[in-house]
Amino acid sequence: MTAAIRAEGASVVLGGHTVLRDVSFEVEHDEFACLVGPNGGGKTTFVRAAIGLVPTATGRIEVLGRSPEEARRRVGYVPQLKGFNRSFPARVVEVIAANRTGGWPLRLPAAEREAARAALARVGGERLLEARLAGLSGGELQRVFLARALVTGPKLLLLDEPTAGVDVRGRAEFLELLAGIAASHELAVVLVTHNAAAVRRLARRAIYVDGTVLAWGTPDDVLDREWERGGAFSGHDHASHSLCEDA
Amino acid sequence: MSDLGDALLAPLGQAFVVRALVAGTVLGATGALLGVFVVQRGLGLLSDGLAHATFGGIALGLLVGASPDRAILVALPFTVAIALGIQYVRRNTSLAGDVATGVFFAVSFAAGILLLGLRGPSSPPVNVEGLLFGSLLAVSPDGLVVILAVAALVASVLAAIGPRLAYATFDPELAELSGVKVAALEYVLLALTALVVVVGVKTVGVVLVSAFVVIPAATANLLGTRLPAIAATAVALGVLGTAFGLFASYHLNVATGATIILTLGAGFFLALVFRRR
Repeated sequence: MTAAIRAEGASVVLGGHTVLRDVSFEVEHDEFACLVGPNGGGKTTFVRAAIGLVPTATGRIEVLGRSPEEARRRVGYVPQLKGFNRSFPARVVEVIAANRTGGWPLRLPAAEREAARAALARVGGERLLEARLAGLSGGELQRVFLARALVTGPKLLLLDEPTAGVDVRGRAEFLELLAGIAASHELAVVLVTHNAAAVRRLARRAIYVDGTVLAWGTPDDVLDREWERGGAFSGHDHASHSLCEDA
Repeated sequence: MSDLGDALLAPLGQAFVVRALVAGTVLGATGALLGVFVVQRGLGLLSDGLAHATFGGIALGLLVGASPDRAILVALPFTVAIALGIQYVRRNTSLAGDVATGVFFAVSFAAGILLLGLRGPSSPPVNVEGLLFGSLLAVSPDGLVVILAVAALVASVLAAIGPRLAYATFDPELAELSGVKVAALEYVLLALTALVVVVGVKTVGVVLVSAFVVIPAATANLLGTRLPAIAATAVALGVLGTAFGLFASYHLNVATGATIILTLGAGFFLALVFRRR
């Protein structure tokens, strides 16, 4: 089976500064992996390179057996910072449908509405279908963007610190949703997070990134080494399995 | 029809008023449609900057010997080039959009003043006031054809790219990931805005033309909650505001362009009061 992500000696240079160097690892087709490491370590840059938003300077990143640009339509992406235009008159159903149609839906065919509804139902957000995006809480926004990512039936889901800025309850609920998706084994998931409990609970493997890959293995191995290193994770309950820590 | 109705519509018996009505309402509709995207992107000052750049283009046309009517044919590519330059700076530097607009607008306007001064002493005089404030009632049959052609082009392009442009307006990064060519669409939007602004300068002048783009769309944004409804409202406001302003200015015997803009402005302030919270 083709790997979901295969990085081979990948380096990324942004503004003359090498953000990632010689990154090599692999995520299998049905694996739940977590990218962990300190702020500024290059986790987000790796995710952006994996969807072709930033180029690799050397080496390569293969996604679902293709280049990042070619694989985009089979990848679901939930960004860290919601950079959408908050004054835009967007409704949830339109945001989700746009990811399927590749354009803003000025009219919504029944099939698109149903696909959006089904994606929202999968993340427990069906009641949000007709809601205006501008009025949603952080937790509700996360569900909408997760539904948006899932609506195309991706084979790889990339989530970049998806619960940053979400309250404790919303964070726990969202990570439980991810646990359900992971259990389905329908797709590979790569989660960027600072939440040690989430890593231990959800991931089969963790990849510690700080400019390059410093550790790659089971969550316990990677987190324990990281703990000895001084800690890039939130919360003092390092061994906790509660999902309520900061993402 | 009542005597009052007859009296109000009497101006339509004159060809120049009919031309002005058609030119004004078509421009009002086209500007409003483009304005929906311009306003949503926070580029309200862009059309104002492009209008001032148009002054430089018209001055260049006059310098190379074009008549005041034909100078617009030089101003069209000139202003489109300025629009593309603004977009290039926006995309390739860390300067915010309004900064690039401010630089290009000032340089183009200054160049226009310089170019007008370089014309020979035998050149026909230029009505600078007419350039700055326009004259909708003076739209010639040829001018009307140019306006209709530009409006048809803008409407056709927007019909083709509207959904993708809207997606890119909502979130350029997510749109890019969905396969939308965001950078190309932004260049197209600015080029279309430049075209509408240039032909609009002939009608309401450099100083007021951006109102055609900004005010109906801003008003519609206050009233609507869905993009298609906002676009339809903006177009209706552009058409009705222009027609009402034109007739009002005729009967009150006051400046046409200013009356149209004040009518559109009145709509904006009413919407501000009665908008849905």
